[in-house]
Amino acid sequence: MLSIRDLHVEVEGRPILKGLTLEVRPGEVHALMGPNGAGKSTLAAVLAGREGYEVTRGEILFEGKNLLELSPEERSYAGLFLAFQYPVEIPGVSMVQFLRAALNAHRAAAGLDPIETTDLMRLLREKAALLKLDPSFLSRSVNEGFSGGERKKAEIFQMAVLSPKLAILDETDSGLDIDALRIVSDAVNALRSPERAFLLITHYYRILQHVKPDFVHILAGGRIVRSGGPELALELEAKGYEQLVGA
Amino acid sequence: MSTPISASLSLEEGTAHLTELLRRSARESDFPSPLQELWSAQAAQAHLQQLFTELRHKEDWKYTPTDFFRFPWTLGSVELLAQSPFESALAPAEIVEPSEALPALRNFPTPASPWEALLIGASLRAHYRIARQGCVSWNFAGKGGLTTQLLTVSLEPHAEGEVWLVPQGEGFMIVRVHLHLSTGAQARVYVPTYLKAPNTYLYILLSAEQEAESRLEGYDLTAAVPWKRLEVKVRLSGKGAVAHLLGAARVGRGESMDYAIRVEHAAPHAESNQLFKSLVYPEGRSAFQGRIYVHRQAQKTNAYQSHKALLWDRKAVAYSRPQLEIFADDVRCTHGVTTGFMEGEILTYLRTRGIPEAQARQLLAQAFLEEVLGRVPHEGLQEVARGWLAV
Repeated sequence: MLSIRDLHVEVEGRPILKGLTLEVRPGEVHALMGPNGAGKSTLAAVLAGREGYEVTRGEILFEGKNLLELSPEERSYAGLFLAFQYPVEIPGVSMVQFLRAALNAHRAAAGLDPIETTDLMRLLREKAALLKLDPSFLSRSVNEGFSGGERKKAEIFQMAVLSPKLAILDETDSGLDIDALRIVSDAVNALRSPERAFLLITHYYRILQHVKPDFVHILAGGRIVRSGGPELALELEAKGYEQLVGA
Repeated sequence: MSTPISASLSLEEGTAHLTELLRRSARESDFPSPLQELWSAQAAQAHLQQLFTELRHKEDWKYTPTDFFRFPWTLGSVELLAQSPFESALAPAEIVEPSEALPALRNFPTPASPWEALLIGASLRAHYRIARQGCVSWNFAGKGGLTTQLLTVSLEPHAEGEVWLVPQGEGFMIVRVHLHLSTGAQARVYVPTYLKAPNTYLYILLSAEQEAESRLEGYDLTAAVPWKRLEVKVRLSGKGAVAHLLGAARVGRGESMDYAIRVEHAAPHAESNQLFKSLVYPEGRSAFQGRIYVHRQAQKTNAYQSHKALLWDRKAVAYSRPQLEIFADDVRCTHGVTTGFMEGEILTYLRTRGIPEAQARQLLAQAFLEEVLGRVPHEGLQEVARGWLAV
């Protein structure tokens, strides 16, 4: 599904990723861990198509297509979703308006007619319930005045609505209290399926206790330095980055 | 500016020419003496140099492009249209003969400058009196050239009125409006503007005097016009008077839109609110100058002012200048200005959700102006303006 080979990325001339290789197949959950500054968020940004990142070497294939040639919206239509580490506020645009526009853009790309309002509202209410969000949340402006936890839940809510093939969660667990972490984890687990893959970018072991990964990778110095099963996260928790990878 | 400007006159010559035209149009005046004498004297002083220097040095003209003054204008004509594009629930207001019995004429503000004095005699004039309920539908159409209009509206105690200033046509249209709200009177003023003709310059100078417990609401919705300046001067002279002034402007390529708003609190327990938003396209130019002036005796004043500008990109220009002058010590006054570009993170965020950039910008632009549009109490206007303002 996602195939990253020898990826080198620079930000303002500074090399951040230095030969990252990663293979994600449908149905898998990969956890990408690493110390601060390892390049985790850079990878997320490059995958989503954010500006300011220069790929100097390597390739990324998504469903066989060259991902780097696609615009951010085309990546979204292809089935890629990024839950932002710092979701932005969209003043004056309600969640309903926002997701109606997003869904209809997806539908238009697939040659479908715009969604009926009743269908839209049914879908949004159903997914809001999954995240235990109050229905009033749908009429509020996107992320405006939301707490850190609400913003993260809102990201997972959007993911549930857009139903991507590959979801990248960039430190979604950061800043969540225990209850919110549980709700977000349950929602992610509910969305796991043989067709859908997840890439969880995190600093912490605790989300992996709720969302069991198939693979754990440790990113350090712009490359994946170790890969393993869930036990690698446990080992990391016990020993720390420095002892484990010398980072 | 997309409009071709004739370079055949220097700015001094152009201004002199303009002065003469205004003076000619001001020969006749509706105003009762001694006001008329005062104005005539002021108008006479308004010679070239004075007017020219005045505008150049007046703070609130600082950000206003005035190059088009040098266009060799001729006196044009303007006509009133019987048909209004907007329906009012109120019956047409009564037009009356000018007299000192009309509070709006009796208390017409002394012009602050010769420039204003020149505007008081006008090619098109009307005086309205609203005793209980009435609507002033001032639908005017410029036929080119320089035209001036004068309108006064006197609302009697507890009367309810609407004033629609709806410009059409073209030319350099100067509109001077004065409202007098007697005790407990209520007025709503609507200024919807959608003018596509290239040589079109709209200067509206609206003043209002508000007695106790009166309420004024102003709604400016500007979607297209090469040049527009809306100057508002509200004086809250009676206890508990309320003025809410709102504006939403979409300033297109090569256009210039100017708000110069002054709210004067001269009595205690009055309330005022200014909310203006400008969406500025590349090569568009917006200016907002808002002033709240609180007199010493105006204790327990509540006054708010906010201007927000959203710039399409780095080629859009917005000036914002909020000012507070407070001489009372027990008041609540706030002002805020924000100016931001439509770019970066927020657009990327929308695009990662599948919303293409053009549509993302449209969504942001509409949401930005909706804060004002949503508060317009006239549904028909809301709907029309939404269509105008849609990108």
